[in-house]
Amino acid sequence: MTPRRGPLTLLPPLSGLLAGGVLWEGVSRTADAAFLPPLTEVLTRLAELTADGKILPSLLSSVINLVLGLAISLTLGLTLGTLMGRYRPAEAALGIYMYALLTAPSLVFAPVFFSLFGPGRTSIVAVVVMYSLFVIVITTASAVRDVPAQLLEMGRVYGAGERQLLFRVVLPAALPMAMAGIRLGVGRAVAGMINGEMFIAVVGLGQILTEAGGSFDSTTVLAVLLVVVTVALIAIGITHWADRRLNGWLPETSRT
Amino acid sequence: MIEIKNLTKRFPDRRGGTVHALSEVDLTIADNEFVTVLGPSGCGKTTLLRAIAGLTGWDEGGILVDGEPVRAPGPERAMVFQNFALLPWATALDNVAFGLELRGEPRGRRHATARELIGLVGLDGFEDRLPGELSGGMQQRVGLARALAVQPRVLLMDEPFGALDEQTRRILQEELLTIWERRRLTVVFITHSIEEAVLLGDRVVLMSPRPGRIAETVPVDIPRPRSFDLHGLGRTEEFTTLTTHLWERLRTMHPDRVGAHR
Ligand SMILES: Nc1ncnc2c1ncn2[C@@H]1O[C@H](COP(=O)(O)OP(=O)(O)OP(=O)(O)O)[C@@H](O)[C@H]1O
Ligand SMILES: [Mg+2]
Repeated sequence: MTPRRGPLTLLPPLSGLLAGGVLWEGVSRTADAAFLPPLTEVLTRLAELTADGKILPSLLSSVINLVLGLAISLTLGLTLGTLMGRYRPAEAALGIYMYALLTAPSLVFAPVFFSLFGPGRTSIVAVVVMYSLFVIVITTASAVRDVPAQLLEMGRVYGAGERQLLFRVVLPAALPMAMAGIRLGVGRAVAGMINGEMFIAVVGLGQILTEAGGSFDSTTVLAVLLVVVTVALIAIGITHWADRRLNGWLPETSRT
Repeated sequence: MIEIKNLTKRFPDRRGGTVHALSEVDLTIADNEFVTVLGPSGCGKTTLLRAIAGLTGWDEGGILVDGEPVRAPGPERAMVFQNFALLPWATALDNVAFGLELRGEPRGRRHATARELIGLVGLDGFEDRLPGELSGGMQQRVGLARALAVQPRVLLMDEPFGALDEQTRRILQEELLTIWERRRLTVVFITHSIEEAVLLGDRVVLMSPRPGRIAETVPVDIPRPRSFDLHGLGRTEEFTTLTTHLWERLRTMHPDRVGAHR
């Protein structure tokens, strides 16, 4: 049941990172491509930017956008998904919107939000929600739909009302699969955050990216990208951790 | 007492027709009686049990349990499922306590009751295991304990041992009878197995398909406590006569019987 621990657990990811870094450095130095500066240069730039006090405030601002957007997506996504998975009329009424919005390129709504909310934080948070909400809704809905009918019957036999059925049977049973949607949603939320910041409000990390990109400063672009990727990985790491805490009862064999 | 009167239930089938899952089923089950229901696949056994449980409605007739019409599941009826239907994220103890938890019993009280029942079904020491860490037989013991925990007067069992291997099944059959003799409750037990129906039941209700109806009710006059030694009970004349008779009847109903479709 308990996940493997110890120094060996970190070996595969660390060696993967090391190999990637070496590859980057090598390709960049041999190919001498203008827009692929070596990793060492990028890291140096990152250190400079940090020392100049440019990274941390932007990072903080970005993370706030991300956290707010994700909180809304999670609340709304789990609620709508559960409604759709459990009640046919909800599915009939909402399903078409959810699938349409899942497949629509989320950034097309940026101008809409801009005109509605102006260039502030609200617009960016809205973009984050737009990116991450629908995948959570749709996976949650199908997770809820897939809860074994026999568990529901069992709940009813032992006297569960709809509320108890929902909280004692349906949601815990649906959680492992819903979690897969949440993980995807978290990844998309990071993309939404950076896109929102680049195309709407020009704040946070997106601002640095836009400026650097405009002046073809690919070293800075990649330095900021490293930060963004780190944010994404940390967010996904937290999701994994939560997944293990909540769904620790799943047999280890089903998650190798 | 369970009184089933003229119970009729139809399902629409996919071709736009109707399936007569139950047709004019009349059956009265006395308090503390152990009734086994036997019949070929699709003859309506599960439908009948779900109707008694209050999980499904019907088209005609009615069901009374202790004089009260069945409309929904009730606390006096508990069910044991073929595939156990345990909550995979909850420990054996919490699964056993589930019915009590739904009734709002405080944690300490319901766990005390659950511990007692875990002992009764022989699972001492396995309280903290998850269902996935238990064998099929142990999981069904948990299912049985969960049913007994709510102190039902009627125990509804739909092929409860059907998913278990032969040896486990025999042991559980024996233990079920021991528990039933001690606790005294009404049992409706569905099975595919002729031997199981005769070993366990006071009466065997034989159902026939299309439309699902009661073909015959066979009293089992084998004294209790019944020995499960096949060289004992299995060889007695009553046992052989009953099982042979039931098999003769079932055989004529079986859809794969040569000529059955002509
Ligand atoms: N929800 C349903 N919708 C349509 N038809 C159904 C439904 N439930 C049962 N039936 C039909 O009713 C008939 C009786 O089904 P039931 O499950 O009660 O049989 P059974 O005796 O329990 O069979 P088995 O021994 O295979 O478990 C079957 O023909 C089945 O196809
Ligand atoms: Mg059945």
